[in-house]
Amino acid sequence: MMEVIGSIVVLLGAGFHFSAGLGMLRMPDAYTRMQAGTKASTLGNTLVLAGLAFYHPGWGLKLLIIVYFVLITNPISSHALARAAYSIRIPLAGNTGIDALRDEQQNLRSKT
Amino acid sequence: MISSIVLTTGLLVILIGFWGMLMHRNILRIIIGFSLMSTGTHIVTVAIGYVKNGTAPIIDRVLNMSEAPSRAVDPIPSALVVTAIVIGMAVTAIMLAYTIRLYDSKKTLSIDAFTESKW
Amino acid sequence: MTRRVFAVIAIVLFGFVFATLATSYTEQHSLRRLAESYVQLVPQKLGAPNVITGILLTYRAFDTLGEVAVLFMVGAGVVLVLNVDRWPHAAAHSSEEPRPSSEIVQSGAQFLSPLIAIFAAYIIMNGHLSAGGGFQGGAVIASCVLLVLLVYPHYQLNIEFLTITESVAGVLFVLTGIAGVIVAGGFLDNRILPLGQFGAFFSAGGIPVLSILLGIKVGCELSVILDGFRPGPVGQKDKV
Repeated sequence: MMEVIGSIVVLLGAGFHFSAGLGMLRMPDAYTRMQAGTKASTLGNTLVLAGLAFYHPGWGLKLLIIVYFVLITNPISSHALARAAYSIRIPLAGNTGIDALRDEQQNLRSKT
Repeated sequence: MISSIVLTTGLLVILIGFWGMLMHRNILRIIIGFSLMSTGTHIVTVAIGYVKNGTAPIIDRVLNMSEAPSRAVDPIPSALVVTAIVIGMAVTAIMLAYTIRLYDSKKTLSIDAFTESKW
Repeated sequence: MTRRVFAVIAIVLFGFVFATLATSYTEQHSLRRLAESYVQLVPQKLGAPNVITGILLTYRAFDTLGEVAVLFMVGAGVVLVLNVDRWPHAAAHSSEEPRPSSEIVQSGAQFLSPLIAIFAAYIIMNGHLSAGGGFQGGAVIASCVLLVLLVYPHYQLNIEFLTITESVAGVLFVLTGIAGVIVAGGFLDNRILPLGQFGAFFSAGGIPVLSILLGIKVGCELSVILDGFRPGPVGQKDKV
């Protein structure tokens, strides 16, 4: 019974990983591709490791630590990549409405 | 069965890396193809050492010393691959250093621009 | 066009060869004689539970010494290729300041780099008990240094300290091997120190000592290579 639940959760995680890959292919520009890749694959990682915890309940604490580290490092690295891409002026997609970073930097420059 | 799947995956990765090396004109993508080929070779080398229903060659709670020769996987390909991974990384570092110097000389990363050694 | 055709032909031919390899492969049912003797001898004669580390650091330790030499050559080669006459050409680019990293990345790096360093030390010290060893731990140390270099663009690594440390570690590695000739069975034999109790932390003779020296050398080596790739202000990279 626990194995069936674990298998379903791992399958959900694999579905999220697939959607991350699909998003990276179909999104219009670099920033939206980074968002699709990071968010969906982090959640996919978490679900796969949680499903594994159903299979081996004794490994629960170690898997929790791994999930913790994945949750810390994935968002930080995609943030650094997106900032670097913005600073070398990779163009945003054509139908972008709001550019919050440009407004923020203009506010900072007009204050100093 | 398991090692057949891993062996086929490794051979596919070698083919993909080879295709990338032949088709792309950007030097960085050629280097990525090279790195893919070496990764595929490592996968194939480790997959060959698999013994049916074997486990890792480390003596601990799961595998005690007396039953190790009958149940352990071949340790020699793994030892060779440990060395090979580090050397592959070192070769990639040298290739990237050469790429930086090539870019400084011609301001382009396309390999079609460097024709001095072609005859 | 012809380039593409030749590439396709080459890929198809290789595909035939690989398909023949993949279909005629059968799994082996028992170990070959050399592997079986290694799996038997390493726990009994050397006292190390990890058979692969026992092979890498005692039975095939001469190959490990050769690889250490290859890494040294690569480090020297990268520094040589990247330091000569480059920075006067790049003077136009180095007039802009490197962009400081944002606060999120700095906080994350401050949290993560001690953990990575502890993890690297754990991998090196447990090389003879479980999976790990000198090379793996050295690579993790270099990744910790890489994180610091990426997050703080103005950080200056002390290159002379790193090169002196790595050379001293290499010399000590060879001296340990010569001590093996004098005291124990041969070059880089691990019976120079007592074998101890099987599975304890201080066991397996000279293997932890060799692991530590390897880890230090590989870590310093890779850090020097990583630092050679960084852009610096004009005139700073002239001393080789």
